[in-house]
Amino acid sequence: MKNSDKGPTAEPALRTWLRVVVLIGAATLGGFALDHHVSLTSQAMVYVLAVVIAAYSLSPVASVVCALGAVTAFNFFFVPPRWTFAVDGQEHLIALGTMLVVALVISHLAARLRQKTEVARQHAMRAHQLQELASALASALSASVVVELGQMALDATQDGPNTLAIRREDGSLDCGLSLASKVHDGLQSCMREGAVLGPGTGRWPGLNAWYIPLDSGGQMQGAACIENVQAADQAGREHAQALCTLLAQALARLKMSAHVQASEAEAQRQQVQSTFLAAISHDLRTPLASVVGAASALQSQADKLGAADKERLLHSIVSEATYLSHITENTLQLVQLTNAAQPLRRDWESMEEIAGAVLGRLRLRDTERRITTKVPQDLPLIEVNAVLIAQLLGNLLDNALKYSDGPVELSVRTTETQMLVSVKDRGDTIASDQAERIFQPYARSDYSGQRGAGLGLALCRAIANAHSATLSLKARPGGGNRFTLALPLSGQQPAGAQAMEAL
Amino acid sequence: MSLRLLVVEDDREIRTLMQSTLSVEGFEVQTAVSLSEARALLLHSPPDVVVLDLGLPDGDGLELVQTIRRQHTLPILIVSARHQEEQKIRLLDAGADDYLTKPFSVGELLARIRVAMRHRGTALAAAVTEHHRDDLHIDLTQRSVHSRGETLHLTPTEFSLLARLVRSAGRVVTHRQLLHDVWGPEFTEHTHYLRLYMGQLRAKIEADPAEPRHLLTETGVGYRLATGS
Repeated sequence: MKNSDKGPTAEPALRTWLRVVVLIGAATLGGFALDHHVSLTSQAMVYVLAVVIAAYSLSPVASVVCALGAVTAFNFFFVPPRWTFAVDGQEHLIALGTMLVVALVISHLAARLRQKTEVARQHAMRAHQLQELASALASALSASVVVELGQMALDATQDGPNTLAIRREDGSLDCGLSLASKVHDGLQSCMREGAVLGPGTGRWPGLNAWYIPLDSGGQMQGAACIENVQAADQAGREHAQALCTLLAQALARLKMSAHVQASEAEAQRQQVQSTFLAAISHDLRTPLASVVGAASALQSQADKLGAADKERLLHSIVSEATYLSHITENTLQLVQLTNAAQPLRRDWESMEEIAGAVLGRLRLRDTERRITTKVPQDLPLIEVNAVLIAQLLGNLLDNALKYSDGPVELSVRTTETQMLVSVKDRGDTIASDQAERIFQPYARSDYSGQRGAGLGLALCRAIANAHSATLSLKARPGGGNRFTLALPLSGQQPAGAQAMEAL
Repeated sequence: MSLRLLVVEDDREIRTLMQSTLSVEGFEVQTAVSLSEARALLLHSPPDVVVLDLGLPDGDGLELVQTIRRQHTLPILIVSARHQEEQKIRLLDAGADDYLTKPFSVGELLARIRVAMRHRGTALAAAVTEHHRDDLHIDLTQRSVHSRGETLHLTPTEFSLLARLVRSAGRVVTHRQLLHDVWGPEFTEHTHYLRLYMGQLRAKIEADPAEPRHLLTETGVGYRLATGS
């Protein structure tokens, strides 16, 4: 398709003229073969045949030359007196003249016919290309794919070099490679003017390239530059413009859908946030009321209260305030995790150590030592954020202590691919249809009858997700619940620690 | 003569609370609401202990810690919120002695101040070479460690690690400080060494390594050799 735009003139001139010579030579040989068998008129017809073939297969100039050559050769070889250019008699002069006119007319008609066929073929191919590009663009999901398809389409239709650049939000151009300043300025200018520049367009005709904006209804998505073009190739320019329009529409569609997605996500985020705020203020209110109540009692009724009452009120203030701090910590961490743009800070950690630190904190509340542990000593190190994993385990153990009266077990074991950390209690079994709901922030199940579990588990889930781990809940045979954190083991341990013993 | 304490805290309620509770304990308490005020007070009348809150309006305190460390050996306690983890570690590495996480009880604050004072008191005389708590007895000059009535055999690295903690007994020692002092300055990022050796040490020293009573973990920060009851 590429070559067809330029036509047969693109062929080496030598071959064209060789074909002219061959055609005339063949006609001459044919004429000699028929010599003495047929009339001079029939011999002339052989030459006309050669002219018709030349007119249909060669360029207009070549076919005219062929027509003239054929008439000259016929005159030289066959018209009496033979072997001279002289013409003997009026009759032969008329025959030669007629033959020349016929040959020229045929050559002209054949050339036009060929041109029309060629144009029709090009139209069909271009229409096909547009259709193919449109359907390929419909499934393109990113601007880079659009650019790639566009570049391929332009390269298929124009020799170029062709350059395709996308307009960024700030107005600058995004193109894979660095642009020559002339091309860059041309692209910017055509976007600014919103019109095609270059030969044949009436704008900047002195250039040797077309600059075509990627215009989607007045919005400039980018621009294309096609170098080494002819002013006369109007059909080629219109086709390139049509391709650019398709690209512009595809880019506009991508922008639009990204915009819609962003606003949907924003709306959802706001919805979650307001639910969250409503719930958190509800959860803060109860302990705050206890603190204010107890403190104001101590303030205004100090002389009427006995020592035991005062002690009880003080204890309530401390424990409720500690609880408030706990909620605040969980909330803050959850917000940080859900909004975090950067990945977690991880380190090689020992699960035994993390569990030990969590237990150390919890024993202050677990005075009856209800928590028992099963932590093997040869656990592999694991790459996690220790502070977050400690917070997760703390929340799970805290819940287990709060919502059950029996023993609570913390156990760690490893499989080939995972480290499984489980917290088991003998509290009321959470129904399996509730098991997923309790991990949603504030979608609290009614099983507890107590407060504050919702957010803690939501945070646990968020921490697990941030580690590409899973946190699941299963009912235990015989009653109670088992929360299991399954952390993926990378299979590789950090090297080099043992070698240090030589110190 | 009573000990002089400088509390740098921008929140009025907490500042007042610390002033009154610490005064009751016999400290002479000065307060500053910003780093610049603290700097002025330090020049004018150097205290014996500094309690420094993170997140002050005029900076993160790193510069103040560095300034103090250039001129004084006085103990610096950092008070931080949970989310100021990295900042806290930076200040500990820069020479602060210990930290407290908000909210903390008065009891915890006093215990930390006592530990910090003890170290500074002896730092000028002789370095700590012995540690005794419950069933654990460590003598660094004899290179001997006894636990639950038995003599323990430690590898050289295990002993260096334990010795480093003994010299700062009661105070947190950050991962970076431990790696720097035990393995060397080029190993400060190799925290996995610590995990492995600390695990081995606990297996030898602790009655229940899963729930250590001596070698305590300050999650995300470092380790602390427990002192007191």
